[in-house]
Amino acid sequence: MSTFQIFLIALFIYLGSIGSIVGNTIGWYTLGRPLVASFVVGLIMGDVPAAMAIGIPLQIMYMGNVTPGGAVAWDLSYATYIGTAAALALGKGLGTTEIIGLAVVFAGIGGLVGQLMWNVSYALNLPLNRLANKYAEAGETRKMYIPNVVGGQIIGFLCRFIPAIIVLTSLTLASGQGDFASLIPGWITTLLGVFGGMMAALGMGIILSFLLKKRYHIVIFLAGFILVTYFGLNTMAVAVVAVITAVLYFMAYDKVKVEA
Amino acid sequence: MTKKISEQTLKKSFRNWFFWNGCSQQAESMLGMAFGQAMAPVIDELYDTKEEKAEALKRHVSLFNTESQVGSVVNGIVCGMEEANANGECTPEIISSVKTALIGPTSAIGDSLWVATIIPILLTICLSISQASASTSWLGAVLYMVIYPVLTCFISYKLFRFGYKSGLEGMQTIMANGQLEKLTSTMTVMGLIVVGALTASFVSVSLPIQIVRDVYDATTDTVLSGQVLFNADNMLNAIFPRILPLGLTLGVYHLYAKKQWSPMKLMVAVLALAAVLTGLGYATGFYC
Repeated sequence: MSTFQIFLIALFIYLGSIGSIVGNTIGWYTLGRPLVASFVVGLIMGDVPAAMAIGIPLQIMYMGNVTPGGAVAWDLSYATYIGTAAALALGKGLGTTEIIGLAVVFAGIGGLVGQLMWNVSYALNLPLNRLANKYAEAGETRKMYIPNVVGGQIIGFLCRFIPAIIVLTSLTLASGQGDFASLIPGWITTLLGVFGGMMAALGMGIILSFLLKKRYHIVIFLAGFILVTYFGLNTMAVAVVAVITAVLYFMAYDKVKVEA
Repeated sequence: MTKKISEQTLKKSFRNWFFWNGCSQQAESMLGMAFGQAMAPVIDELYDTKEEKAEALKRHVSLFNTESQVGSVVNGIVCGMEEANANGECTPEIISSVKTALIGPTSAIGDSLWVATIIPILLTICLSISQASASTSWLGAVLYMVIYPVLTCFISYKLFRFGYKSGLEGMQTIMANGQLEKLTSTMTVMGLIVVGALTASFVSVSLPIQIVRDVYDATTDTVLSGQVLFNADNMLNAIFPRILPLGLTLGVYHLYAKKQWSPMKLMVAVLALAAVLTGLGYATGFYC
């Protein structure tokens, strides 16, 4: 990765993290999603199809990443930008499943750094309360942006951008050390492939915990499952079936309620 | 003369919230500072003296938390209540207690309906589009980048205006008449089908046990080398296709939802299981 590429990726890591200047809707929930992040990394590194091939499985794996009450399970922005960039930089010559395994590992490392920095920013933001209370006591309505936006952004930017630069620079230095793919023993690439495929269960399992509210719900989940395994539909086709079912369910909802 | 928040100020308040609600999140007041900033233009317009402004600001930099995209309804409700307060029709105590009372329901609705349902469904549809062909894989990402922010901004602003216009009563009506439950359970049905399909398509795990032997074929009097006599994975899939990915996913669900394992712990467990399976595969000659 060139210095400019590192700079751009680090910038997007910051923009895609919680509380960046563009807001959580555009940042965390859009730029931070692996599907979008891998696309951005692909644009920066000049290989969109390869980046997307990494981003799609990462998105599945992190599908269940919800942040209730500010408890960040993984820092998605860190995880996917670094995972995708690392897999692209280091995975030359590896097969698709192994590259994905590599991406999963580096996403894990990136996610850990991100979570650490999140906790740091969470702590550093505390003193801003003193400032906010001071302005509030004085009735300074026009200064209320200072603790929230100015203070919050300086801390947020420093906590995201600088560690990202460090991680990405070390990755670049490591990839310059020669052919990374040939250095990894065969059993590790196999393990990475197995691990990558299994990690998708994590995303799905966690998202299920939000969706399975009644016992019989498991049957609806199984219906989607067998539409793929027995009926051979692809996910897009099942999505269409799901929309149709949802419409019918919505229409029938009131009637069933009244009769029951 | 009754005081009224101008259109321009309402928009400004919403903008402050929409873009900067997460800027200074921390454990003491959570989103308190951001809420204070969002209310600042409204307070500036409604109250005249420094003392009144200070009083109002102080109650809005205190602890507040929600799922901020759907939670904009609280901002709307509070704007309406501050307006009533400036006209002497409400008290600061009521405002504070209503705000506190709304933390729970708006977080729950926002997290379960928006973050845990709408986002995964939209992502899944976009993923399917991306997955269809490598040359058009960018399309799904671009679609998500456009649809999600525009849709969310629209809904969030509508909720904000709804909260301002209809107040707490409006929100209670919606929550009481079952419309929200109807919508949530419809979304749940859709989400479950899609997640089922995703599990079948993307989770992969196999039991790498096989028995390979050279077999003597009596009819042709030849030795067929390297015949697979037994393949555990094929056998399992003949019973129920992709039963292992299904089992693994439900296992993760059980450990996460019922046993309260943290995602990090689960990740380590999955890695350990992957290592065991890989070892088993090498031991039985599945991988070589």
